[in-house]
Amino acid sequence: MTTTTSSSMDMELMLQKIKDHQWALADIDWDAPGVELIPDELRPKLKAFMADLCWIENVGARGFAAMAKKAPNDTIAEIYRYFHAEEQRHANAELALLKRWGMIEGDELPEPNINIRLAIEWLDKYGDDMSLSVLGTVIPMLEVALDGALLKFLLDEVKDPVCHQVFEKINNDESRHIAVDFAVLDMLGHASARKLAIEFVSSVASPGLIIGSLMYIPLLNRVRNELVDMGFQPERLYTAMTRFRKLGDRGEKTQRVPLYHVLKWHSDMVIQPQHPYHLLADSMVALSDRYPKFLLKPIPTWFKELTYEPVSSTVDKSGTAA
Amino acid sequence: MTASTTTTRPKRPRRKKATHTHETLIIGAGFTGLGTAIKLREAGVEDVVILERADRVGGTWRDNTYPGAACDIPSLLYSFSFAKNPGWSRTYSPSDEICAHIEELTDRFDLRSLIRFGTEVTALDFDRHEGTWTAKTAAGQDYAARTVVLASGPLSNASLPQIKGIDSFEGRKILSAHWDHDYDLTGKDVAVIGTGASAIQIVPEIVKTARSVKVFQRTPGWVMPRLDVATPRVAEAVFTKAPVVQQAARTALYLSHEVAATGLVWDTPVTSLIQRIGKAHLRLTVKDPWLRRQLTPEFRAGCKRMLMSSDWYPALQRDNCKLITWPITTIVPQGLRTADAIEHHVDAIVFATGYDVQLGGPPYPITGAHGRVLQEEWAGRAQAYKSASTHGYPNLFFTAGPNSGPGHNSLLVYVQGQIQYAVAGIRTILERDLVSLDVRPDVQASYNETMQKRLRRTTWMSGCTSWYLTEDGFNGAMYPGFATQYLRQMKNFRAEDYDMVARGARALWNSPAAQAV
Repeated sequence: MTTTTSSSMDMELMLQKIKDHQWALADIDWDAPGVELIPDELRPKLKAFMADLCWIENVGARGFAAMAKKAPNDTIAEIYRYFHAEEQRHANAELALLKRWGMIEGDELPEPNINIRLAIEWLDKYGDDMSLSVLGTVIPMLEVALDGALLKFLLDEVKDPVCHQVFEKINNDESRHIAVDFAVLDMLGHASARKLAIEFVSSVASPGLIIGSLMYIPLLNRVRNELVDMGFQPERLYTAMTRFRKLGDRGEKTQRVPLYHVLKWHSDMVIQPQHPYHLLADSMVALSDRYPKFLLKPIPTWFKELTYEPVSSTVDKSGTAA
Repeated sequence: MTASTTTTRPKRPRRKKATHTHETLIIGAGFTGLGTAIKLREAGVEDVVILERADRVGGTWRDNTYPGAACDIPSLLYSFSFAKNPGWSRTYSPSDEICAHIEELTDRFDLRSLIRFGTEVTALDFDRHEGTWTAKTAAGQDYAARTVVLASGPLSNASLPQIKGIDSFEGRKILSAHWDHDYDLTGKDVAVIGTGASAIQIVPEIVKTARSVKVFQRTPGWVMPRLDVATPRVAEAVFTKAPVVQQAARTALYLSHEVAATGLVWDTPVTSLIQRIGKAHLRLTVKDPWLRRQLTPEFRAGCKRMLMSSDWYPALQRDNCKLITWPITTIVPQGLRTADAIEHHVDAIVFATGYDVQLGGPPYPITGAHGRVLQEEWAGRAQAYKSASTHGYPNLFFTAGPNSGPGHNSLLVYVQGQIQYAVAGIRTILERDLVSLDVRPDVQASYNETMQKRLRRTTWMSGCTSWYLTEDGFNGAMYPGFATQYLRQMKNFRAEDYDMVARGARALWNSPAAQAV
């Protein structure tokens, strides 16, 4: 019934661990003191960054939804279903922080930037068709960057204890995500060289992945630029990328996954601020700002599921917070 | 017919032993038990007793009274061919109408006097010297009979699922199989857990009056449109006056379901065609692509029970209804929490989470000829010969036994075959005055080998997890074939497949092994 996994990780045990470590917005006192610890000059930048962050989590959630359909066995599929929900949970929690800090007016959710809109369109169109080896390589990279650099930076800058409490929970979840990501990546490496080569060639040649990179490159740079604006040192990203490499290389067979090497090569460029890559990437950011809005499809409904409300007591399809 | 004899078993304390040995004892007064009694009487077996734990006939249709409960096979086919009902009001009759039909059958065939209501069987033991079965009951009264037909149904018990925190919930907990009619859902916020055959009937009804309905789904199933219309008056009149026309309509329905087996039983290109119909149904009725994705099944059609409904998808899209696919993490006093960190406050939770499926035999222990206990023997590996007899348990006939489940046709068509088989077996026992009619182990083994071989190519074994399979993936539930094949085998009772021991002379027909008796 299920494909046996050659992973050294006991996925059943991991699933149980995941189930045992669930938390909810209702566990957190969102009115606790600490809001005043956010300096005024940080507020506008923090607002823009947090808004992007929570949309990125939501995009990551969609990635896991695609992976659940491709999982090699029922247990891993169930784990991905949880991860899908957990990324959504992170986005909800980040939205609740924005609300706490008074950065959301009324019921209005922050607008996703153009790069996120494009990434959403891409995910909705191509995500489910991407092979597990593509998704399974890209997602760990994003998560390491998110977990290792962005979130740690945020905690250094923001002194609000509730923010720390929230991100401690998020980080705990993310560390399980990363452990599973790399175990699966290693598992993918156990496939035959022929299968890996075919999958790699066919995915690189696919319009889906090409368009995907066109979305991904400016998105990454936009976020990086936002961070630098807030005083982020790109070295942090360097450390995170080293971690991606270290975790990946630790796997017995991960090195056999061709896309893993492409991403390593790409991350090497991203972390060097002087690399000519950024000329390309930044111009893509600028270009995407000129992307004609009328070409954008309506925002998918899954994107509107975010809510900062810890409790939902009825069904309200008109608003976002159901 | 053999005259009845009194049992000579020693009396146990506080038990009232049986004073009479019936020819046949039937457990359960649902469709199957009553149908068996009708057919036994037709065959001249008059001394029949039916033990029923409830105080009314009707079985699953008496118990399942949730809003919207109805059959998902056309009523013309979901009824016995020997006890038709020309008056079905709709293509797919609601549960109360089916229940009324069962009550009517009971009276039409004068069965009420045979039934001992409020009599729950707690154990069944075989005495191999006397050739009698004794049913112990919760009330203490024993019943003895030479033959037994188990008609207690595979889905007769249901219980609340084990979800973390379930006991802490302060609202109303409603189990679909035991609907709480004292509680009015009008204006309430309701959670429904499960999206199987019961939920798809419940939700379209309760969304009409509840303030909000949140439906929590784990796995979406294949949903086919169900054309449920009121029976035209003229059809009803014709069916009443000319039963042959009703029989013809029934045959046509039967054959059209048989055709579906080529896609629902076996994993074939027809299965893909059925999936296309399912997807087209989804595309035509659900506008939002994400909701469509959430509702798109990921297993081969037929692998799990097919769902029939034309109002499920529209109900989910109503303004007061929402499908939630996040995993439930825990139940809390005011509702439940999902893994996206949200707590859903509700007044009531409807658990449409299925039944305690009895793949390993009925919930009461059955002790056979050599002190063997059926449930122990069947643990994880239920097997029988033609789904009706199991070696070591003589004179006992199963209905809905191992490998008798249909995936494409009316259960009652199969049950009719099982009744026919049991009646033939019982007549053999009574006419030849047998102490024991026990299926030969080699015959049973070779039958099951064939079953398992034939099952390999079926949709049920195509990779999903379903209640048809045991935890380690053994399929002891479904019959891998057409209903026609099943009926043919059930029509053919082969005495030579059984070891037979006669009463007086202890004469032996088939097996030297039985000399030990």
